[in-house]
Amino acid sequence: MKLSKFCVVLGLTLLATSVSAQSIRVFSGGQNQRPDLMRLMFNEFEKQNPGLKVEIEVGGATSELQRQYLSTVLNAKDSAIDIYMLDIVNPMQYARAGWLEPLDGYLGAEAATIMKTYLPAYGAANVVDGKIVALPAFADAQFVYYRKDLFEKYGVKEPKTWDEMASGMKKILDGEKNPNLAGVSTSGAAIEGAVCTFLVPYWSQGHEFTDASGKITLNKEAATRGMNMYLNLVDQGVMPKNVGEHKPADMNNLFKTGSLVAMVNWGFAWNLMQAADSPVRGKIGVMPVPAMAGGKSATCIGGWQWGVSAFSKNKASAARLIRFMSTQPVAKFLATEGSLLPIFAETYRDPDVLKKEPWYEFALPVVQSAKGRPLSANYGQVSDIVRTTANAILVRTAKPADGVAEIDAKLARATR
Amino acid sequence: MLSRITNPSEKTLAFFLLAPAFLLIGCIVVYPIGRLIFNSFHDIRLSGGTGVKFVGLENYLILIKDREFWNAAWNTLLITLITVPGGLLAGLGLAMLANLPFKRKWPVRLALLLPWALPLAFAGLIFAWFFHSEFGFVNDLWLRAGGAQREMWLSKPNTAFAAICFAIIWKSSSFVALILLAGLQMIPSSLYEAARVDGASRWQQFTKITLPLLVPSIVVAMIFRTITALQTFDIPYTMTKGGPGNATETLAMLIHKNTIDYLDVGYGSTLAMGMFGLSIILTYVYLRRMSAEDHVNE
Repeated sequence: MKLSKFCVVLGLTLLATSVSAQSIRVFSGGQNQRPDLMRLMFNEFEKQNPGLKVEIEVGGATSELQRQYLSTVLNAKDSAIDIYMLDIVNPMQYARAGWLEPLDGYLGAEAATIMKTYLPAYGAANVVDGKIVALPAFADAQFVYYRKDLFEKYGVKEPKTWDEMASGMKKILDGEKNPNLAGVSTSGAAIEGAVCTFLVPYWSQGHEFTDASGKITLNKEAATRGMNMYLNLVDQGVMPKNVGEHKPADMNNLFKTGSLVAMVNWGFAWNLMQAADSPVRGKIGVMPVPAMAGGKSATCIGGWQWGVSAFSKNKASAARLIRFMSTQPVAKFLATEGSLLPIFAETYRDPDVLKKEPWYEFALPVVQSAKGRPLSANYGQVSDIVRTTANAILVRTAKPADGVAEIDAKLARATR
Repeated sequence: MLSRITNPSEKTLAFFLLAPAFLLIGCIVVYPIGRLIFNSFHDIRLSGGTGVKFVGLENYLILIKDREFWNAAWNTLLITLITVPGGLLAGLGLAMLANLPFKRKWPVRLALLLPWALPLAFAGLIFAWFFHSEFGFVNDLWLRAGGAQREMWLSKPNTAFAAICFAIIWKSSSFVALILLAGLQMIPSSLYEAARVDGASRWQQFTKITLPLLVPSIVVAMIFRTITALQTFDIPYTMTKGGPGNATETLAMLIHKNTIDYLDVGYGSTLAMGMFGLSIILTYVYLRRMSAEDHVNE
């Protein structure tokens, strides 16, 4: 009796392990990375590869929460997850830590050709120390979303600089006289996006954050001017006082309910604003982020990658899946269904895509010229220093010049 | 040999019986602390294959000059100094209230237990919503009471700190109240009857009977609360994440940030040693005060 029970348990266990051996577990980011759409593509892959099952795991709403979670899992050398979705700032850190399986062997002779098909920034971000460590999933960049109807009503033209933005916003806010309507907002909360909030006006003045070797080259005067620009907008009443609390999701909610005239946000916002239940549907425009006076428009590059875990037990199947997920048909699907920006230049010009996302026409040059955040094996620390201090400046607990000096000093230690 | 096992002497028997306990303590107390001390003298960064490098006192020298460490230590101390007495006062009030001769005791007891049973992170999130500048109910009250505009409670260092202390006091007062309630119920009612016969006022009864007899419970509650206050993590983490800037960052949060977020295990361990040192100093002061008071009582 006892022996037979044991045999049954043993049999079931073996069965369970043999089933899980054919399944691939994917960490598919948070809601902003649209796991719902990824699931549909995984279903497609399952159809083409009978015997393989794809399980999905969703985590952390923001990039830094995901990084926290994944650092714990990967430090433990956990083999449970085979594929990770990574923010564009992470492949270098993960590759240097030995957490990503190099893909050159799995891609075969075509490896170099495949990488050339992507937008150059995504080809470059996924090659670390000469090895392909991840493949791009979708692109992203920051744009300004604005209420086209209000701009037209008051004859405000798309602003090219932040000064023009301020005067345009004033005109609209003065005319609307709505106490619940605020001007323009950006990611000011101490999240990953605040790194971009700090860098965008800095880059716009023609300065670089790091040199070619990765050494920090912060021009403190320019960085201070950039942060002062935001505080001026707040003082003029055209940026909400609580910008230091805003995350992309907060801005989406405010914009969608008509409480915000404009916002600096990522590509996925378009799709949410155009949803059937959106009160601002059909009333929005998209434009590049304004420049500092006398400078050039600059924006942060974003985007997400697929990497195979170095601890996975199904590396070959996992590599096959991410190769499938980084092809043109998938990019087209993600663009039309979720307004997730494509990683191929051709997809931006695809008539089917343009019909649904007319703003892609000018999105391509923006993505192509968008700049990358500093890549570092200690990116988590670099990002934390920049975003908490940028946030402190925006909520006025630190003076811009002092905050920038603090960033400079702390970065020196982080990159020791 | 076999006979020693089947028929052991008293000494051997004691060894075998105690061994499991020592093994357990070794695994869960001695090893982690030893490992912590070891780590604190090494450069261990899991972010890039630098391996484990002995660096002597380097981490400690960084720590002494680290403004973030002293800032977090000060915040932790301030939270302890505010929330331990604050929680004690609120808890005493709640305990006195619960000790009143209600007809139905269970709704009162339940109300006392609920905040205590709530996970800390939940409490933090709930209070974060209360103080939210756009959707929070504190701002709603504020505007109704004549406030000029919505305040950003959690984005200003002082109000954020006050909000966190408020949440911690709310959360911890029920725990204190439970301990004090047990103490209150140990006080025989005959003492109060005698006091009433002698014409003592309510206040006199409270200061001459209730408080002195409650001292042992108060001491227990204070020790428990001080230990947990020094380890404060969940409520500030969920309410402000240490912000604005580092204005509400506690030591436990700084250690977490360095070890888990930055993967700098070496320096994180040094920070933990720093926290350990501060706790020892505080415990010493505490014990000295208490033994001094014991002498006075004798």
